[in-house]
Parts: sequence; C-alpha cells; structure tokens
Amino acid sequence: MGARIESVGTSHSHRGLLGRGALHLSDEAAKKCLQHAGRHADDIDLLVNAGLYKDRNMAEPALASIIQEDIGANPGHPPVRDRHGTFSFDVMNGACGAISAAHLVDGLVGKGPARLGLIVAGDADPGTSQDFPFPSVGGALLLAHTDADEGFARFAFRTFPEYADLFEVRLTWEPDQKHNVLEVRQDPSFGRRCVECATEATTAFLSAIGLGAQDVDLLIASQYPPGFPGELGGALGVPLDRMPIVPPELAGAHTAGPIVALESAMRSGQLARARNVLFVTAGAGVTTGIALYRNVPR
Amino acid sequence: MEHAVPWMLLEGEHADAARYTARFDSVGLQLPERRLTSRELMASTRHHTNIDLERLTGIRERRVCSEGEDSFTLAVGAARDCLARSHHAPADVEMLICSSITRYMGRDSYRFEPPLSLSIKEAIGAPQAVNLDLSNACAGMLTGVFLLNDFIRRGVIRCGMVVSGENISGLGTNAAREIRSLFSSQLASLTLGDAGAAVLVERAPDGKPGILLAGFTTISEHSRLCFGLPAPHGPGARMFTKARTIHKVAMQDAPPLLDAVLEQTGLRLADIDWLIPHQTSARAIKAGGRVLAERFGGGPKHMVVNCEEYGNTSSTTHFVALHRYLTEKRFQRGDKVMLLALASGLEIGVVLLEMDDLVESHGRAH
Repeated sequence: MGARIESVGTSHSHRGLLGRGALHLSDEAAKKCLQHAGRHADDIDLLVNAGLYKDRNMAEPALASIIQEDIGANPGHPPVRDRHGTFSFDVMNGACGAISAAHLVDGLVGKGPARLGLIVAGDADPGTSQDFPFPSVGGALLLAHTDADEGFARFAFRTFPEYADLFEVRLTWEPDQKHNVLEVRQDPSFGRRCVECATEATTAFLSAIGLGAQDVDLLIASQYPPGFPGELGGALGVPLDRMPIVPPELAGAHTAGPIVALESAMRSGQLARARNVLFVTAGAGVTTGIALYRNVPR
Repeated sequence: MEHAVPWMLLEGEHADAARYTARFDSVGLQLPERRLTSRELMASTRHHTNIDLERLTGIRERRVCSEGEDSFTLAVGAARDCLARSHHAPADVEMLICSSITRYMGRDSYRFEPPLSLSIKEAIGAPQAVNLDLSNACAGMLTGVFLLNDFIRRGVIRCGMVVSGENISGLGTNAAREIRSLFSSQLASLTLGDAGAAVLVERAPDGKPGILLAGFTTISEHSRLCFGLPAPHGPGARMFTKARTIHKVAMQDAPPLLDAVLEQTGLRLADIDWLIPHQTSARAIKAGGRVLAERFGGGPKHMVVNCEEYGNTSSTTHFVALHRYLTEKRFQRGDKVMLLALASGLEIGVVLLEMDDLVESHGRAH
C-alpha cells in the first residue's frame, strides 16, 4: 500500500516567448501530466506546489490554489454530497521541495484519506534579479494510491548547516536602486559541497536499508547546480546508463529538477526497466532529500 | 455508521483507521513589545480618509516589530516559549514546519533559500528535525497541524512543531500611504499585526483525547481575491483584498463544510465549547457567528474574538488566541475547541480538539 507514480508532465520557456512565468509553466505541466494519465482534474484530492520563484514574487495566496483553479480541479462551490474537493498548499524547501512534497503526499495518498495527489514545481525569473540562475521550467508529478507492493518506500532528509551560507536567495529592498531586488548569492564551492553532502547522506541511506550503489537501477537527481547528477553518480558508483539524460532545454531546472529527470527516464524506457529508483536532491542549506521508490518493471 | 464522502480532506475518528491520536502538547508565543494603536496608524495616512478603523474592525491596537525583530526572531522566540512549556526537549522534535507568510530575516530582507525552518531548528537546538517551510496564507499554521496530525496518527513520528513568525504590520504602514477610502483594496492591510506562535504536536498517551478531526479544502474559484506582493517602490509588501467578497463567499461556503465535519464526529455546533476563527475583525467574526447560529439552529458556546489588542496576525491568529485563553485558564478539561481557518485561496480548514492535560501544563515551566 502506498503512492505510485502515475504520470509526469513538464514545460519550459521558449527563447523569446513572453508571458511564461512560473504560473503559466506550472499550469501547463499540470495539464500535460493529467493528460498523460488520462485523468480529470476533479480526481485530484491534494495539490502541492513546490515551486519557489513565482510571478512578481507573490507571497499570498499559495500558488497551488491558483493552479488548482486554472486546471479546474474542483474549483467551485457548492460542496456536493459524495463528491470530494481538492486541498492545495505550497511547500518551500528549495531544490528538495518536490521530495518534501512527495513525503507529505505519500502519507496522505498512500495511507491517508486522499487517493490522488498532484505535485507541481515551477520556477521562472520574477524579473527582479540580475543574475537569476535557473531556467524557466515547470514540472508536475501525479501520485495515485495503490494497494500493490510499489511506491515510495522510504524518505530521508538531512541538513548540513555548516554550509548554509554557500547559497542564499533573498528579496531585499535596495534604497539606491529604489526597488526590491532578488539577490542570488552562490559560493564557488556550493556545487562541490552539494555533491559531498548528497553522497554522504545517500551512502548512509542505502546502508540503513541494506542496499548498495549496485542495487540502484535508476538514479533521479537534482539538476542544479550544473554537473550535480553526473558528479553524484560518479561519487556513488552508479553507472551512467542508470541515469537519465535530460534534454538541454530542461537542464539546470531548480525545484522541478527531479521531475524533469524522471520524465526523461520514462521516455528512454529506463523507468520501465527499473525496480529500485533512488531520488537524490540537494540544495541550499545544504539540504538533502532522498527517497527510495519501488517500481514494478513493466 | 456509513459516512458520505466528505468534500474536505479529513482525518479523524471515522475518516480512517489510524493507530494513534495526536494532541497539542504546548503552545508558544512571542509578541513584539511595541504597540501601534489604530488611531496612530490612521493618523499616519497620507490622504484624509474618514475611516474609523477601531469602530469598523474592533481592533484597538496591534504589536509591531522594532529594530532587530523580524519573522525569524518572532518564530524562534515562540518556538522557545513553546519548548519551555513542554515536557519535550528540543531533541525530541522530529519534524519542524515553518508556515510564515512573511519570511523576513534582517531588515527588509525576505529569504527564499535556505528555508527559514532550517535556521529556526538550528536556533532552538533541534538540528535532527526534518524541516520544511510551507505557505498557505493565513491558514499556514493549521495546515502544518493538519500535516503533523497525519504523520503522528500513522505512527511515523511522535513529536513535531509548527512555528510561524509574522512580521507583517509593514503592509499596514504601506497601505496607510496609499489608502483613500473605505473601498480601498488595501483596507484589510490596516488590520495586520506582528506575532510569533508555535505549537508542539505529539502522540497522545493511550486513551487520552487530542485532535478529534482535522480537515481542509480549497475553494479555488476564489483564489484571486487576495494577493500579497512585494511593494514596487518601497520596502516590504502590499496586500490587495476584495474583503467584502471574501467574507461573503466564506459565509456561503464554510457552513456546509462545517456541517460535513460535524457529521463525521457526531457532534452539533452547539456541542463546541470554543470556536476560534481566523481573527480578521471583531465585526466580521460576530457577523459570521450569527450566520452559523442561524444555519445550525444555535452557535458554539463561545465565539472567540481576540483581535482587539493584537489585530490580524495572519497565520498565527489561532495560536495567539489559544495561548491567551490557556494563560487565562478559560478552558476546562473535556472542552471541545474548534479552530477554523479561512484564508486566501480560498482555504477553509478545521482542527477540532478536546482539551485535556494542556489546560494545566500550559502554565507550568518545564
């Protein structure tokens, strides 16, 4: 009994195309995801957005509620007897946000009152930064209740606060410029520390469940910092053919990183052949979020 | 007894077969010392408005941050107060959720990454806790409670904390510069006050009562009725609200949902001893109370209004009220308390609990 991955969807901004903010990207990814699964938006019990960089840096409401309205997931009143509604909220945990969201959704869908949960993660430059490092990418992941022996088996989160200063993003009022500026501060060692922390956390995670790198059939990793997936795979000893190749237009995706990697693995057939799927995310904090997903090879 | 499929996503006695009950172990609070009266705020408006804010909202004053105070310091202060009232040590906290709308760490500096929850858990000595931030407007803390309730009921964790530090009164200061009349979309910003609050949620000992039911839903056709955004030409943020429409749709949508919640528990609204709604204004709460009493043929025994001295402290209002009523020893063992979230989204949530040891342990320092 658990929550199985039913489908994924992604979207990205085409060069030169305007009006592709985080909301638009998230809406599009969510709709594609539902379409791939042959599901209606009204089937969704739970919608969690893990995207961080939203249009105009909106702080309220949760972007998830707007996505819910846009995709038409039980948007309206009145509550109808014997029909369920949809509950939406945002999770913010940087590059590990999608795995944090999966941790929450897994419980409510796999063992709780929900049957279908949609995780959405999209980021786009809100237009207040001179050095926004992430491409405009959206991703959506649909998790469905299953009574079978598949789904997320274990999650683990760790933080390495000694490296908390290596990556920081703040929206700060700059009196000289007379506006709020999104400042991205990244130390040159951030990428290396992410690989080190993720390697240490993953090794401990696998050891605790009696698995080794050789048992990992598919490694789904964060896509930022650049080079993270390959370096992590190398450090762990997971062969390259057990990692998806993400198309250039989706490479470097921030909160949607693991979702775009998963979509690539689905397209290549790697997921269909895998039993043990290991998600490893790392980002600011340094925070690591790891999940083992038991897949039924098809 | 067969229960209909509820519209809300519910976890409670009849909704599923969980192994454990979750309960509130302790509630913490951190209020800034500085007070700003509604008269002082309205005296600072750039335009002559003729708005009697105190009469309109029942809010006499609110607390506001001074130099050195921000979302982070309020959250940490509340978390420490919460732990001081708990028999748990920081090392017991397995999950820490920060649900602030405002994420100021330093003057006029809103932090996206790393999450605030990471810095909070380090500050209170709980580095082992799994941390995450969540954002769900003024329903944030109760959303966190809903999630911890799920983890504790399933036996995944025994103890977690939800914390929020709201340094949000700056929206009122910004609104005061621009507001011209009662019909301004920034009127609701004038009600806001600063506060930090925290709650420790733990597995209840066998046979002990706790959270009877927790449920949420989002009526998202109203998702665009309230926006909080950074100010374009100054520090801080601004909030634009269609306040009358939100109040109207909340009064229209909440009663049938409460009906379903009560059906799950076999309770009537009149069985609820204390209903603590989100604290927007005394007038709105009293109007809501009348609608509920009419719909249910009798309201709760007490409708809690706690905004006169604190204003609308956004995601922390329920716990600011709960802390005060616990401090004043107003609750009795066995009292049924309903926390009702109504927030931008439109989020409607309910946490229904039975008071037990907390009525005595709150005043005790551990």
